[in-house]
Amino acid sequence: MSTHKKINTEAVKSVLYPVLFGVLIFLLWEFGVLNTILHTDTNILPPPSRIASIVAENSSKIADNLSATMTVILIGLAAGSVLGYLAAMFATRFPYFGSGALTVLSVFNAIPIVALAPVFNNWTKDVSSQADVRSTVAKILVVTVVCSASMSINAYRGLTELKPFSLDLMKSYAADNKTIFMKLRFRNSVPYIFTSLKVSVPTSVITALVSEYFAEYRAGIGRQIRDNISIAQYSSGWAYIVVACLIGIAMYIILMIFEGIFVKRTS
Amino acid sequence: MSDMLNTEIMLKDIGMVYRTNDGRDVTALTGVSLDVHKGDFVSLLGPSGCGKTTLLRIIADLLQPTSGEITVAGGTSREARLSKKYGIVFQSPVLYDWRTIKKNVMLPLEIMHIPKAEREDRAMKMLELVGLTDFANHYPKQLSGGMQQRVGIARALAIQPQILLMDEPFSALDEFTKEKLHEDLLRIWAKTNKTIIFVTHNIQEAVFLSNKVCVLSPHPGRLSALIDIDLPRPRTMDIKETPEFTAYVSKVRNSFEGV
Repeated sequence: MSTHKKINTEAVKSVLYPVLFGVLIFLLWEFGVLNTILHTDTNILPPPSRIASIVAENSSKIADNLSATMTVILIGLAAGSVLGYLAAMFATRFPYFGSGALTVLSVFNAIPIVALAPVFNNWTKDVSSQADVRSTVAKILVVTVVCSASMSINAYRGLTELKPFSLDLMKSYAADNKTIFMKLRFRNSVPYIFTSLKVSVPTSVITALVSEYFAEYRAGIGRQIRDNISIAQYSSGWAYIVVACLIGIAMYIILMIFEGIFVKRTS
Repeated sequence: MSDMLNTEIMLKDIGMVYRTNDGRDVTALTGVSLDVHKGDFVSLLGPSGCGKTTLLRIIADLLQPTSGEITVAGGTSREARLSKKYGIVFQSPVLYDWRTIKKNVMLPLEIMHIPKAEREDRAMKMLELVGLTDFANHYPKQLSGGMQQRVGIARALAIQPQILLMDEPFSALDEFTKEKLHEDLLRIWAKTNKTIIFVTHNIQEAVFLSNKVCVLSPHPGRLSALIDIDLPRPRTMDIKETPEFTAYVSKVRNSFEGV
């Protein structure tokens, strides 16, 4: 009984302290103390209440840009993860070619987004006569590349780093490759899929925002941050920054919930 | 002829040569011949490097010998593997963490496409046999090492094989757990009438469990003695205090060559 109580107290503390710290920062910010400390005026760093009111006033415009950005994030993340997993499956099936292919993919992981984005803009010139479609495809491709690199490397580990004798056990049952994949390799890779997503979910948000900076067609949360700040509309810029943060946080929470459902008992 | 019918596993002049990465040939086993009768409990006993695990893997068709002949359950070792004539227990339990205990035992039955109701029924019977009925819905990490290895035994028996192959199954367990599992294993053997091949490096364990001890010596791995253990059954821990038991242990120990 006492151990339960102790765990609960620890859990409460681990949530309470960061929350209290956050509230403190928030209050310092709202009442201008933060501006004094950072030597900035309220034009460059407006208080939270003002940012909130701008978000509320521009809700329909924000919603349009949000949907443009979410399209890029979700399609890119899904396509990249699926491609990365398929690459890992290929590497598992054909280790001789596969490990080389994975090394090449992981190189993509090291290319900065600012370098990838213009390249894909160029590649997608002829995809559509409409600028918004062209740009969306280009942005999705950047997110896809970044996410597939992370997934392929992690999934490959999940598919191949098996407990000793696992494969011998399957061989003793005369199991075929499909059975070994379904009953052993795939299930073993599930925690690794989440390891990858914990990296690629925040990365997909950042990648989408940054690739919007370079897109031909002006759309999305990231583009609004850039455009507003470049014309010194800092309050509006901050409104979009807040939305960008909320996207990242919301997606991470959703990911955590899914991990809780699928990985709970395996770790 | 009656001897032929009674033979479960026949090894004739088995040899195993590995080629190392730098191109040298290493002889893991040479000239191993052995007849195992139906219902035997045979230990393959020896120090590290004597090829006892290699020999078990050859019987299990997980390795191909480089020379010699092998018959398992009346056919080739490959046929025996494909028709699930043996169940195998490894040094570690090899349970799948994402499956409950019951589902781990059901794994081979799923692969064999046995109907769900029968799978459940057989898994529960096997768990009862190893005394883990209450843990059917637990996950492997919630169980102790000894309990996990018992699940491994239940899983090996679930396919109803006539042969049980065990590769140092208790070597990672503490002495108390090991003794308990020895008694359990003998009880299960008496009840199910399987042929058991048991790999171990522990002389007492081999003498206590087996009716035949195959002593393997290293460099190169070879069969240096075959000793029948005529101790009464059912055997309990008390037998280890008897002079007969001690005499067998000495006899086995003295039969090693070049260690």
